[in-house]
Amino acid sequence: MEVQSSTAGAPLEPLSPTNFPGLFDSVDAFLFDCDGVIWKGDKLIDGVAQTLDLLRSKGKKLVFVTNNSTKSRREYAKKFDSLGISVSEDEIFSSSFAAAMYLKVNDFPQDKKVYVIGGEGIIDELQLAGYTGLGGPEDSKKTAEWKSNCLFEHDKSVGAVVVGLDPFINYYKLQYGTLCIRENPGCLFIATNRDAVGHMTDLQEWPGAGCMVAAICGSTEREPIVVGKPSTFMMEFLLKKFQIDCSRMCMVGDRLDTDILFGQNAGCKTLLVLSGVTTLSALQGPANDIRPDYYTNKVSDFINLLGA
Amino acid sequence: MLSRGVISCSAQSQKLFSVVPRSSAAARVPPPPSSPHPPPSSSRFASVAWRRSSSFCSSGDPKSKSRSRRMETLKARASAQPLQDADDLINSVETFIFDCDGVIWKGDSLIDGVPETLDMLRSKGKRLVFVTNNSTKSRKQYGKKFETLGLNVNEEEIFASSFAAAAYLKSIDFPKDKKVYVIGEDGILKELELAGIQYLGGPEDGGKKIELKPGFYMEHDEDVGAVVVGFDRYFNYYKVQYGTLCIRENPGCLFIATNRDAVTHLTDAQEWAGGGSMVGAISGSTQREPVVVGKPSTFMMDYLANKFGIQKSQICMVGDRLDTDILFGQNGGCKTLLVLSGVTSLSMLQGPDNKIQPDFYTNKISDFLSLKAATV
Repeated sequence: MEVQSSTAGAPLEPLSPTNFPGLFDSVDAFLFDCDGVIWKGDKLIDGVAQTLDLLRSKGKKLVFVTNNSTKSRREYAKKFDSLGISVSEDEIFSSSFAAAMYLKVNDFPQDKKVYVIGGEGIIDELQLAGYTGLGGPEDSKKTAEWKSNCLFEHDKSVGAVVVGLDPFINYYKLQYGTLCIRENPGCLFIATNRDAVGHMTDLQEWPGAGCMVAAICGSTEREPIVVGKPSTFMMEFLLKKFQIDCSRMCMVGDRLDTDILFGQNAGCKTLLVLSGVTTLSALQGPANDIRPDYYTNKVSDFINLLGA
Repeated sequence: MLSRGVISCSAQSQKLFSVVPRSSAAARVPPPPSSPHPPPSSSRFASVAWRRSSSFCSSGDPKSKSRSRRMETLKARASAQPLQDADDLINSVETFIFDCDGVIWKGDSLIDGVPETLDMLRSKGKRLVFVTNNSTKSRKQYGKKFETLGLNVNEEEIFASSFAAAAYLKSIDFPKDKKVYVIGEDGILKELELAGIQYLGGPEDGGKKIELKPGFYMEHDEDVGAVVVGFDRYFNYYKVQYGTLCIRENPGCLFIATNRDAVTHLTDAQEWAGGGSMVGAISGSTQREPVVVGKPSTFMMDYLANKFGIQKSQICMVGDRLDTDILFGQNGGCKTLLVLSGVTSLSMLQGPDNKIQPDFYTNKISDFLSLKAATV
């Protein structure tokens, strides 16, 4: 599949009262990224709740596709609920879910274990899929010993290492994951995603999973299988659930090299919002080759555009 | 078995299961205004900012082997020869550069026959230099380690990547009013101090915690003009964020790596995740490639050739790692000898995946004492 965006050179179109009705009528499902689109850290972005309500009232399907693997789909549904938005678990496709599903569809043996460098979300989804996850948040307090006769042990039955966002990253986890990948024959190296930075809090950007994944790439000299955006792996599950043609979907995200590329790779329409990691100058800058179909400031712009 | 990078697709969903590799370099958001600033042409040490694998930030195309892409640009070399006549090699050079881990010692244990070998070389008038990518100690601390192991080695003969980082900053006239943020261990701090460079971070930041909650904001010192990243057993998210903020937000901030070794022999019993891991992490969050001062970059080679007035063709580089030690020697135009007493086995050297061929290979350096030409 082509990696380079095929839209390079196309003009950038801001969403406006002229083009919005056409887009709206041609889309049956809106796919939303979460961090930087719906919320920033634990704070809802202005006008999001009203916008989602409006879209539902107009009969549009809503789907949430997030690369943030720290929570399971269930936990994300709870987060939406705590922010006053009603979203069901099966409308959410997190990269934690994607990692577990990747193993399932590829018949990962039940007697093999998975070492997790990441959050509870991955551990939960693995468990739901019937797998045994080791590591995760539990290994955040562990340290290694460097004495002459001390061997750093690792479970030889680990058949896959899943790496995602881990704010509790430490040397112990790096070493454990490294040994599994380098020494257990056939051990898979799976990345939930490779986002460089993200809005883990409302006030600033923080290193994303791209950091932890690159750390393991550095010690194993291997490239991972990426299950989150821009990989279209998750799209298979979306299609099964919603049975809507990709051409009648619109991916709404704040990041060009994950959200927009995901949408383009899957054959959806794409809308970039400037409420997250991408600024207008970054979008328009000479180094950027990825052109979304449209861009706008934030999701709640829909309200004005629909009213017009 | 799913081999590295290859995605197994289930037949019925072939179209959507092809896991799309990361976007190409061109598709990345533009880097912050601060690009790495190359050494001024007046610098005596025109170091090669040696690009290791470009796979960290570029397309993770499952079919490409980033290492072999890089290797294509090196001239094809004949296969490594087993060392048969040690005297021949010894007589053909004036200086021996030795790597340390896996060549001189393993962890804290000396490798057999090392003291006698070094003595023999000195008695033949050879200059000995020790170049290690291990940045946990300063030259002075390494001097003590050599002493503890009963080896007669002068601090001035030791070049650790911790020293290289400080020397590099000096060579580019790093401003006195700027600071360095360190993701690494004591060795780097000590060398920066000796060079009169202000620093922040280091092992101390290993105890710092962050709380990703509303209203939490991490400040960073805007006077940081360089982030130096090396092997760090106290690695944590605080340091990653601090280093990332400096590189992304402080105009002109340099990103320097002491080395990018994937694994290292911290203990003699097994391999441990190396500096390549920490450097990879910062590369991943900043989407920038560092200036590498340790092997295989020739920075240290240029430095010591200049310091001792040595001709590089008169040097033999002895190491246990192909993609750092041997490449370092080859990049510098030296003779190269691989020893099998460290991380590289004979099957790895001779395997189809390996494109790096040293001039010679042998089991360990004490073979210098035993390998003589048949006619002698």
